[in-house]
Amino acid sequence: MDQSSATASHGGAIGMHGIKKWFGNFQAVNDVSLEIRSNEFFTLLGPSGCGKTTLLRMIAGFELPSEGSIRLDGAEIAHLMPNQRPVNTVFQNYALFPHLTVAENIGFGLKMLGKPKAEIEAVVAEMLKLVHLEARGNNLVTQLSGGQQQRVALARALAPRPKVLLLDEPLSALDLKLRKSMQIELKRLQAETGITFVFVTHDQEEALTMSDRIAVMSQGEVRQVGAPWEIYDRPAERFVADFIGETNFIDVDVVSVGTDRALVRLPSGAEIPATFPAGTQPSGKVTIVIRPEHASATASAATAPLSGTIHDIVYLGTDTHLHVRLADGSSFMIRLQNARSGPCGYSVGEEIGIEISDDVAQILRD
Amino acid sequence: MSVDAAELNEKLHRKDIRDRWFLSAPALILIGVASVGPLLIVLLYSFLAPGNYGDVKWAFSTDGWFNVFFSRDIFDDTVSLADAHFTIFWRSIRLALATTVLCLIFGFPTAYFIATRPPQNRSIWLFLITIPFWTNMLIRAFAIQEVIRGEGLINTLLIKLGIIQAPIQMLFTDFAILLGMTYVHLPLMVLPLYASLEKLDFRLIEAAYDLYASRFNVLMKVIVPLVKPGIIAGSILVFIPALSSYVIPRVLGGGKNLMIGNLIELQFGQGRNWPLGAALSVTLVVIVLFAMLYYVRNAGKSGGSAHG
Repeated sequence: MDQSSATASHGGAIGMHGIKKWFGNFQAVNDVSLEIRSNEFFTLLGPSGCGKTTLLRMIAGFELPSEGSIRLDGAEIAHLMPNQRPVNTVFQNYALFPHLTVAENIGFGLKMLGKPKAEIEAVVAEMLKLVHLEARGNNLVTQLSGGQQQRVALARALAPRPKVLLLDEPLSALDLKLRKSMQIELKRLQAETGITFVFVTHDQEEALTMSDRIAVMSQGEVRQVGAPWEIYDRPAERFVADFIGETNFIDVDVVSVGTDRALVRLPSGAEIPATFPAGTQPSGKVTIVIRPEHASATASAATAPLSGTIHDIVYLGTDTHLHVRLADGSSFMIRLQNARSGPCGYSVGEEIGIEISDDVAQILRD
Repeated sequence: MSVDAAELNEKLHRKDIRDRWFLSAPALILIGVASVGPLLIVLLYSFLAPGNYGDVKWAFSTDGWFNVFFSRDIFDDTVSLADAHFTIFWRSIRLALATTVLCLIFGFPTAYFIATRPPQNRSIWLFLITIPFWTNMLIRAFAIQEVIRGEGLINTLLIKLGIIQAPIQMLFTDFAILLGMTYVHLPLMVLPLYASLEKLDFRLIEAAYDLYASRFNVLMKVIVPLVKPGIIAGSILVFIPALSSYVIPRVLGGGKNLMIGNLIELQFGQGRNWPLGAALSVTLVVIVLFAMLYYVRNAGKSGGSAHG
């Protein structure tokens, strides 16, 4: 227990291997292996019921894995009680102690560790300052607003200087504006404290904004791990591409395969290069993804790699979405940034060509 | 216009007050008839003189109250403090406190167990807890007697199993009294405790474990403070009837040691001294009142320190 404060500036690294978890007949987590690096902001992203919270609760110690090992800085912790792990949690609904003041809540962990009173007071004061609640130390937590409670929960979990901070959808109860500012706040706290953050969310935008790396989960399995840009630009499979952002799927034929690019033939006959997930060997019929902002409209329909008819135009303020019906009947979306004011200059029913930026197509794993 | 409005407001206000009295009348009548009225009668009786064959003579007398605290020697009329009464009061208070503590010790895990069952099973457990209430307390006392007496269930079983040779004397001991008292009063502790525990947010327990609390600290620093209202309610509900109970001490304790309840019963029965019985009853009410005031104020204080 004491090592939690001994190594204050060092965030812990977590290694999970072959983690499985059953609840009765239901398998919540299926053979997950992950390496979370020291000092990184790591996000578990996925729809509800994908097993991300179960995984987090196993790191915290509230659930024991049915199989597999969890290591913290190389030492096995899967069998330890939550109070024996130098890991603290920010709970989804904060779980603040309603019978204690803000300061008592924040000092709870240190008090349980048996720290001297003077040290507790000093750390609590420091934490109150860190989350900008200096004047609120003597308030009951029930007298605070949702955003303030959120920050108390954060300060309470940070006060014992854990090696790893676990955050279970901590922003989901806040309104949009507060959520945005808390995202920046969390990022700042992570950088300032140097503690490894493991963040659970179903909000893809939140994950992209804050994370150093993201693990996308679905049905108890990790689908892809990577930096936000990798997850977004180089999705490995359909689920990941679909879950994060908006995207166009096109069925194509593989013409030739190089070391890290393949040449694929679009339904129109045009050939474009496409990246593919490491460790796969694309061949035959595959699906590629092209993000809507990576395509642009052109008047010269004949020379463009794709062409079709605009069947819908959606104005979104910052962007305009053109929905184009391709020759084979499928729909393709183009995102135009509204760099100028006024209408976008296209009209429904217009025949247009679609240009695709260089090196944006990604082949999906089957 | 504004005058009319003020007048209307005044009327509505008066009607509101009338309605309130009207609506609370049933409760007020019940309290008056069943609680305040009898208490006043008892208070009145305590200031009257005893009749020859029980009952009271309608003559003012403070003998009843005098006899609560002092005793007059039959031969030389010397007045001394009524030690016997103080002993009996103190014994009853001790028994009531012990019963309350035992009920808390056994009732808390029971209530916690029920509150942590799946919601659809909880009502079954609560139902089982309340079953003893269906039977008269006297019958239950005799049932316990049957279990713990010399040739009773436990002794017979232990002798048959060869664990003991001769029966253990359990009946008519302090153990028997405490067993009976705890058994009879346990549901009164479990139900309010359960009501508090059921509302407890169990995520707070997880949070406490996460913040390095030991099992003991989770209990003392998180669970107990949060279910304090239930502990207070349960303790009051047990302490009050336990203080005045006389069936259990008599049936299971053998009536060797008098309790307040027995003492009062004696005055209205064989003693034929109703004023003394009435004065003792009023004394008991006052003790309970002070105990409750002390308890509630103390509970309030320690609850308040958490705010400070």
